[in-house]
Amino acid sequence: MAFFLSVSRIIKFSFQDIFRNIWLSVVTIMILILTLFSVNLLLAVKAISAAAVDTIKNKIDISLYLKTDAPIEKVTALKTKLLNLPNVGEVIYVSQEEALMKFQEANRKDPKIAQALRELTKNPLAPSLIIRPKSAEDFEPLIGELNRVDDAIIESRDFDNYKIMLEKIDAITKKVSEAGLLVSAIFILITLMVIYNTSRVAIYTHRNEIGIMRLVGASNTFIKAPFLISSMIYTLFSLTVVVVSFYLFLNLLQPYLETFFSGYNFNILAYFSNNFARIFGFEFFVAAAVNLLASWLAVSKYSNV
Amino acid sequence: MIKFKDVSKYYNGNVVALENISFHIKPGEFVSLVGQSGAGKTTLVKMLIGEERSTEGEIVVGGWNITKLGSSEIPYLRRQIATIFQDFKLLPKKTLLENVEFALQVCGKSMKKIKTIAPQVMRIVGLESKMHRYPHEVSGGERQRAAIARSLVYQPKILLADEPTGNLDSINAKEIIDLLLKINSFGTTVLLVTHNREIVNKLKRRVLTLNEGRLVSDQAIGKYII
Repeated sequence: MAFFLSVSRIIKFSFQDIFRNIWLSVVTIMILILTLFSVNLLLAVKAISAAAVDTIKNKIDISLYLKTDAPIEKVTALKTKLLNLPNVGEVIYVSQEEALMKFQEANRKDPKIAQALRELTKNPLAPSLIIRPKSAEDFEPLIGELNRVDDAIIESRDFDNYKIMLEKIDAITKKVSEAGLLVSAIFILITLMVIYNTSRVAIYTHRNEIGIMRLVGASNTFIKAPFLISSMIYTLFSLTVVVVSFYLFLNLLQPYLETFFSGYNFNILAYFSNNFARIFGFEFFVAAAVNLLASWLAVSKYSNV
Repeated sequence: MIKFKDVSKYYNGNVVALENISFHIKPGEFVSLVGQSGAGKTTLVKMLIGEERSTEGEIVVGGWNITKLGSSEIPYLRRQIATIFQDFKLLPKKTLLENVEFALQVCGKSMKKIKTIAPQVMRIVGLESKMHRYPHEVSGGERQRAAIARSLVYQPKILLADEPTGNLDSINAKEIIDLLLKINSFGTTVLLVTHNREIVNKLKRRVLTLNEGRLVSDQAIGKYII
């Protein structure tokens, strides 16, 4: 009973602290909201960039060029062999004629290429097998597997361009992650300093009260706990505001993303909803831990008045 | 009740605040501790309420050796030794009654007990008609009486009064001393720290005199001698 009484009084004193220093509380909450919003924004950017990379990877076809005189039965055998490879999702045969048609279609606005093709007496393009991986992550192992396939009808297999492209995409993804981590770390540091100062100012404001509490025999826990509870209230309130405002923001963003990822199933709202507990739970624990640490440091240093 | 045995306090290793102080105050005594500024009175008070530690010697309060008190035990010591100061230390945004209630709240007393004890102590100090006033609405003497009321809520064994009349005129000072004597008559040991010669001489009680950190006199019915 006495325990619950003390807890309820500590919570009451916490709310008194918050409301007596209302502008300080507002500034603290604003900084926390900005920090948490930025962290979520970075998460959204990361999710969007990952989806964009997958989309790009899905659009890349790997072509295995075949000899022009390759008999169709040998081509079919090679196609079957390729389809049996673990990372292969689809193999499409493109004959010499189809390759030429596609090339002409792709360059129909360029008169110089059309002229050059007309001057050639025979089809200069080779037949090919277009190979698509099961998923975007299978690109690199697939290239390794294709390099090991040996068949007499294969004319060329230069995958270096794909490799360079994939490396570039991976480098961009890595840089986005690194930048996100750096920005998050900076924001966490700012939060730490803001909460530390908030607690310090709150203690300064209440120095008479703290002095009297000590004088009349209040325990250290009773003196320090309201400041720690205040920091938890700031965290909880800020996170609630961030969840509501961020979902509103994602609702506004989603139509633009649908246009950008037309033909691909990507929903940023669904991404956050599916990972709600993981994302916001983790953010709450990290923010609460940072705030508690900052308050504890300030209270330990300044509350001995 | 209070026992000092060869207590010394040095700051920065060699600055003497108190040196070889020994005395024993029995339960129910009314003792004045006198001395000029810098004599070591404040240091002695701070050691009694656990705010400072002695460098050497032993301090025992009510059979409890407080020489090496842990920080978690200090609040319990302060509930045993009530303290009042020259500057009253009241919260300006709370009424006199709320100031008294606050002391009970922070130590976890139930609302029922608070509502019983707080008006009772206000009556003891004669503030029942002014208990809903704020500190700035009453006189210095009444503020000090409210501070005494707050100090009484735990029925302390010892009341430590550090220059309680320092900010008061002679009439109010007399009222406060009379109140301290009344509290003493209930059995509470009172240690009055003062440099008010007139008050000490009129009391005709035991006087401990400090000079330059040393106890120079301990008279059963003493006078202000410095």
